[in-house]
Amino acid sequence: MEGHFPVGEVFCMVVVRRREMKTKELGQQQIIQGLKDADSEVIDDFIQQFSRPLFGVILNYTKNPPDAEEILQDTLLRVIRKIDTFRQESDIWPWMKRIAINNSIMWLRKRRASRGREIQLEDFAPTFSEDGHLHGSVFRWSVDPEDVILNAELASQLYEAIQSLPFEYRVPLVLRDTEGYPIKQIASLLGLKEATAKTRIHRGRLAVRRKLADYLEGRG
Amino acid sequence: MRHYLNCKNCFDLLMDYLEDSLDSETQKKLDQHFAECSPCLNFLESYRDCSKMAQQLRDQQVEIPKELENRLKTFLHEQM
Repeated sequence: MEGHFPVGEVFCMVVVRRREMKTKELGQQQIIQGLKDADSEVIDDFIQQFSRPLFGVILNYTKNPPDAEEILQDTLLRVIRKIDTFRQESDIWPWMKRIAINNSIMWLRKRRASRGREIQLEDFAPTFSEDGHLHGSVFRWSVDPEDVILNAELASQLYEAIQSLPFEYRVPLVLRDTEGYPIKQIASLLGLKEATAKTRIHRGRLAVRRKLADYLEGRG
Repeated sequence: MRHYLNCKNCFDLLMDYLEDSLDSETQKKLDQHFAECSPCLNFLESYRDCSKMAQQLRDQQVEIPKELENRLKTFLHEQM
């Protein structure tokens, strides 16, 4: 699935596909050894192989390409500098991805001053009658979640819905739903109480759900 | 936990329900409510689907401009 998403003034092509970012064992060993030896050819291959997927990860946290570039640069440098601490028997991709996520979160924490608006529950929750019954009908959408891999427009709508969330909501939601982190770990990474992390994920999901429901209803 | 859960109670417990963090008795009451209340079931499914769809964005590939790749190479070679 391919789709073009506007990122700042440039358009990045985002390819969503079910895939394992697993390097072949020999390739991984060569990369690790090459980085340790500061082999310039291996460094070029390493950049070519991993800068795209890492940039994709980072863009989930920051929408701003110049910032994402800065975080990517720092992530690649950290990977090279920390390569001696990497446990060789494991796969290098999840390790690098964690460094990219931690870097993105550190960057966001520094920028806390630019807070987004708070998502009010009542803006996106269904309405209930006084006795607690759901008011009116709820649109029943007929979307298979896996369609996102095949449907560029749907993926684009989803991507934009997530990206439009203020970062206080976007980051916990991406960590939980996209990356599958447990809530406890999300709370710890973001310096939040678990209950706050849960509330933010819930509100973020409600906002994304509303945007997609509007899109799917409009599409008929 | 109260005997009967209305739609609002279920909505308030939605996240814990999907996280599987409710006690089994409450979990069963929500199962029962969703089995009997189609608006709540529609809401639950759409909410859960959003979560599943977001998972598909994992490991997305981004085509980055060649100039960015070149800038990264220059930067890293300078740092080594």
